[in-house]
Amino acid sequence: MTPLLEVQNLTKSYPVGRKGLFGKRMMQVLRDVSLSVHPGEVLGLVGESGSGKSTIGRAVLRLIGADSGTIRFEGQDLSAISSTDLRRLRKDMQIIFQDPYASLDPRKTIRAVLTEALDTHKLHLGTARAERLIGLMEMVGLNPTFLDRRPHEFSGGQRQRIGIARALAVEPKFIVCDEAVSALDVSIQAQVLNLLADLRAKTGISLLFISHDLSVVRYISDRVMVLYLGKVMEVGPADQIHFDPEHPYTAALISAEPSLKHTSQRIRLTGEIPSPLTPPSGCVFRTRCPYALPACAETVPPLRDAGQGRMKACIRDDIL
Amino acid sequence: MTAIPVRATRKTRLLPGFPRCMILPTLLLAALILIPFAAPLITGADPVQIAVRDRLAPPSFAHWLGQDEFGRDRLARVLYGGQVSLTVAFVATTLACIVGTLFGLIGAYFRGPFEFLTTRLSDVVLCFPPILLALLVVTLFGPGAGTLVAVLSVLYFPSFARIAFSEALRVSSLDFVEASRALGTPSHRIVLGTILPNIAGPVSVQYSLTAAAAITIESGLSFLGLGVVPPAPSWGQMIRGARQFMSQDPLGILIPCVALTLTIYAINFFCDRLRDTLDPKGALGGGKDETSVPVAAGMVPADETADVVASVRDLRLDLMRPGGPVNVIEDVSLTLRANQCTALVGESGSGKSLTSLALMGLLPGAVRQARGALRLRRKSGEMVDLGALNAKELEGLRGNDVAMIFQEPMTSLNPIHKVGAQMVEAILSHRAMSPSDARARAISLLELVGINEPARRFDGYPHEMSGGMRQRVMIAMALTCEPRLLIADEPTTALDVTIQAEIIELLQRLRTEYANGLSLLFISHNLGIVAKIADRVAVMYSGQVVEEGPAAQVLNDPHHPYTVALLESMPSSHEDLHSARGDRLRAISGTPPLLDARPSGCTFHNRCPIAVSSCADARPPLFVSADGDRQVRCFRAPEAGLEAAR
Repeated sequence: MTPLLEVQNLTKSYPVGRKGLFGKRMMQVLRDVSLSVHPGEVLGLVGESGSGKSTIGRAVLRLIGADSGTIRFEGQDLSAISSTDLRRLRKDMQIIFQDPYASLDPRKTIRAVLTEALDTHKLHLGTARAERLIGLMEMVGLNPTFLDRRPHEFSGGQRQRIGIARALAVEPKFIVCDEAVSALDVSIQAQVLNLLADLRAKTGISLLFISHDLSVVRYISDRVMVLYLGKVMEVGPADQIHFDPEHPYTAALISAEPSLKHTSQRIRLTGEIPSPLTPPSGCVFRTRCPYALPACAETVPPLRDAGQGRMKACIRDDIL
Repeated sequence: MTAIPVRATRKTRLLPGFPRCMILPTLLLAALILIPFAAPLITGADPVQIAVRDRLAPPSFAHWLGQDEFGRDRLARVLYGGQVSLTVAFVATTLACIVGTLFGLIGAYFRGPFEFLTTRLSDVVLCFPPILLALLVVTLFGPGAGTLVAVLSVLYFPSFARIAFSEALRVSSLDFVEASRALGTPSHRIVLGTILPNIAGPVSVQYSLTAAAAITIESGLSFLGLGVVPPAPSWGQMIRGARQFMSQDPLGILIPCVALTLTIYAINFFCDRLRDTLDPKGALGGGKDETSVPVAAGMVPADETADVVASVRDLRLDLMRPGGPVNVIEDVSLTLRANQCTALVGESGSGKSLTSLALMGLLPGAVRQARGALRLRRKSGEMVDLGALNAKELEGLRGNDVAMIFQEPMTSLNPIHKVGAQMVEAILSHRAMSPSDARARAISLLELVGINEPARRFDGYPHEMSGGMRQRVMIAMALTCEPRLLIADEPTTALDVTIQAEIIELLQRLRTEYANGLSLLFISHNLGIVAKIADRVAVMYSGQVVEEGPAAQVLNDPHHPYTVALLESMPSSHEDLHSARGDRLRAISGTPPLLDARPSGCTFHNRCPIAVSSCADARPPLFVSADGDRQVRCFRAPEAGLEAAR
């Protein structure tokens, strides 16, 4: 099966301040990241702050440009595409944001928010419009009579549903969910997760689900990719990554997560996350890794096959 | 009796859809703008008609405001002069506003060369001293209203460009603009339809300031003889003429000055109100710090043994609203003991933060303590009633006997001061000791909270530290005066998982190592963390504690349906479920009520899966377990073997 989205060797850095008179100091946030999302698949991206997970989400939508690497959506290379074609393609790929307060224009009614989406791609024109708006509201579990209200009249969970409705309005094939449930209360988070699960069951939509919450990612994703300092550490089927991590970083991350049931000993990581400005040589995780060898400092460990559809970027097989 | 409603309806129906707070400023501004242009209707006098015999004549029936140094009618001059002043000011400001805002918007949205053009162009114009530039241009092109408009609009263009640029930059980085881009909305529609309305507030305020300044500058230039050419009237001209006769005829200078002041005031008044109205959330009406006087209810403290560090009894907090008080916290009781960690758990709007702020004596101005007692043990061992203390005594208590750490360590530390200096200041404000002793104490505290190289960090700035380290510093600062009670409000929510685990371990360690038996009130929405750290758990929902008891019992065998649902809805409690297999999480339907709109009856009844019809009628009392260790606020608790309290 050809993937819906295929990203190869994506690299991205941001300028931070100056170096000398003319030089720019660059902070590398993505290092050689490759991933693919198949039709109907949910790929989870997990990592701590500075891991580059949000940057990936925005780069694959071409909301920010990448330094190098290719992004193919349905076989089309997004970096070679004209801006007109890109705008047309935006119908098929959407994004849901973390902050339900910043993601809606406070001055627009819900109707205006959804209409902007439909107008842009000339969808459901004329009499079909009203029906579509009601359908969208119902799809995300909101009362259609709320259409003419403004965002400040809604709670965080309801706003998040509006954000989802906006993304769904153009019937995309692929949605980036950037920490889409992280800001919600536990009881509301479960509702929105169920809504996303229903949508994927009904419409066969693909998701790139970005989150720092490992249990949420495990529940919603088919496959999970673990990032650290802009590098892929491990990728594989969600349950396997969660219950049987192969990479020491994944194992540490999962053991650090506070849970009601886990009583297993936490794997202690020493020190803080290094600055992306001065990343460690070799394996970026080696400075905090309890299993690091001298060899880890020498070469960047390649992402290699670990069997059962899993890949890991660690030179050791004799641990975990 | 009938008079009141009649008046109310007449006022609101005057102009349907027109915001009421805008009526007065609009009328005032319209009057001040229209009156000069209605000059021919008001007075038949010619503003340039000279009558030397009647120079400096006092007000008369024919000349209401008297006559000036050439015997010209002052009323006519102030009115016709207003036409010129207002036209010049508004045309120039409007031009500057349109051009400047467009430059700012385009520069901020497209960045790159556009940004360069906008910022540099404004910088160049700003380099010229405004009056000097005006003088130069007027000297070159000759005075006159047209020249003035051109000069003023060039002068004021940068202030609009800069404001529009910085505001548009801020708005462009918001998610909703990103969402529009992701939808493929064309750039011009994003800029004009989304960004422009969101920067309208600051730009309109700038407009008012600029229009007012333009009127002043126009008058100033005319005063200098560089603006409107005599004998044509203008306010500046009038001041210029009247200046020489100030002592004989003060009225002459007063009239144009009053006209200037009134106009500028009306413009500012209008724009302030306009900005508030443009804000979709509306003006934050009134509610200014009504000094909250906590009510000492004189409760008799029961079961207050020596290890009780703080106690909250039947706390009731009301939010003061124009329509009357709204109850937000109801009958909350908590007992915090030494060496114990009590977790206050709840979703947003459950009232957990308000309850903790009450314990610090830090309630927001609009919240009043209506009932109940808040008691705190001082280091001397004496138990004090917070309601009986004045503001100064409360201040002495904070930091000394009770301290607090917050969610966002970055915003709690002052970025421009060194970490050590902030700690020393905190120590010295509560303790009399020498600065070198305070420094030694600060360094030992940094060491206590697990900061490597504490002496080096002491001389560093907050921005040189990571989030986890800053939170450690905050904890160290909270401990400077060895408080008995430490309130931690979501202290790890902003941190990464691995760092969060370390902070939790630090707090755990402090409780055992810390000298005088710290009591920890840990506020969190994350039940996983609570399970790790808490001895006792109090679950709050909509301003009430609905379940309270030993942490292990409450989390493993919850009795209240809300606690059950909360635990059930966490994905981490269902490791066997997966969305791909069609599994659903057990979500609670509906949303948590807002604190100021609490449901009647049991506050949870409308979301409760086991509610019975009577749940909607009355607030359930607290039911207590046989050993007295657990409390549940649910009518169905007796089915789990609990009994009604007393």
